[in-house]
Amino acid sequence: MKPPSENHDLTRWLDGVMSDAERSAFEQHLAEDPALSREANALKSLRADLRTHLPAEMNVPYGDFFNSQIQVRLAQEESRRVSDSAHSPVAKLLHWLKKPWLALAGTAAATAVLTVALLRTPDADSYSRILSSYTPDIRVEARSFHDDAAQATVLVLDGLDEVPAERKVSGINVHRSENEPEIAATALFDAGGKRLLTISRDAVGNPQFTVTPPRG
Amino acid sequence: MSAPAATDPVEVTDIDLVKRSQAGDTRAFDALVTKYRGRIYAMTYHLIQNETEAWDLAQEAFIKAWRALPGFKLDASFYTWLYRIAHNVTYDWLRKKRIQGDGEFDDERTEHRAAAGAETTPKGDAAPDAALRNAELGARIQAAIAKLSAEHRQVIVLREVEGLAYEEIAALVPCSLGTVMSRLFYARKKLQEQLKDVYETTL
Repeated sequence: MKPPSENHDLTRWLDGVMSDAERSAFEQHLAEDPALSREANALKSLRADLRTHLPAEMNVPYGDFFNSQIQVRLAQEESRRVSDSAHSPVAKLLHWLKKPWLALAGTAAATAVLTVALLRTPDADSYSRILSSYTPDIRVEARSFHDDAAQATVLVLDGLDEVPAERKVSGINVHRSENEPEIAATALFDAGGKRLLTISRDAVGNPQFTVTPPRG
Repeated sequence: MSAPAATDPVEVTDIDLVKRSQAGDTRAFDALVTKYRGRIYAMTYHLIQNETEAWDLAQEAFIKAWRALPGFKLDASFYTWLYRIAHNVTYDWLRKKRIQGDGEFDDERTEHRAAAGAETTPKGDAAPDAALRNAELGARIQAAIAKLSAEHRQVIVLREVEGLAYEEIAALVPCSLGTVMSRLFYARKKLQEQLKDVYETTL
């Protein structure tokens, strides 16, 4: 076994970190020691192959899912943070609903996502399971998660226009019916109790998104 | 892993995205994830040699980065900063795994018997096609890397994949420069032992 200093010299020579004088002296040493020279050449060849076969960048399997899962985690953390400060599941839910991304203008995207939400399976008593989401507007990203504290499935629509300042969502009513799914509806109200938005389905299951015109 | 120059337009974009992320813009952060996920995933994959775990750890690294973003002062490139987080996340995972009995590394034990337990593949006929031979060699190198101890794999990845200087490796691990050189030497020797049939032909 060679002393550590010789191993270190070989390593530094392979990595090209020797000074000119050090390299020259070491290569002279290699010329005088055929066994060391063979070892050095073998390791040099190995090192070149390592660089070839260990890519610095790799394709991430299911890259889009990778990103969306991170976004879901970030949304969950934000939700928890708000919950900790508000100490109220209702307040937290309203906080989400008041976010700019829940815009009345984004009816198409919201309709698509919430339609899926309304299609609850009868055995899913404790939560709604979102199997898929689709937004016709590619600028809008839809994602969902179940918030245990609020006991609600939170639907996040990112990329919609901001809610007009005068449209303050202050209340929400969810009407569910397992036997008559067509009458299930979600309504959003302002502080005066005026209905701002209704999300429902028609008799054949197509989504309906009814926006109440502004006062005036 | 060199930081791009301050005038590099790519880095300017990073700074913009980081600032927006720090202000809470998750879409800006998503753009950073898209940009660097391939490099972070490659690092975690090379270190632990398991696709599923590497995928999860890469995600964890980005989430930790998001949490730590408010404290990021832009005094290093975003990637350098992110890489350090990802490395720590991965190495913490490896440490826990070793505590749970899945690891085995001991410098004192392994460095003096580099050949012990080394596996070789019997020599076969030369592959008729260079591309096939190259692909086979790549697979064998990956398999050999997977058999290295976590510490040896770590220095090989940091040096050969990321191109870090000894000083950078020493700071990241952390350990002394002498330990970096020793680990590099023995890691390469162990790889050479495992791929003996390939590298004996060069003798």
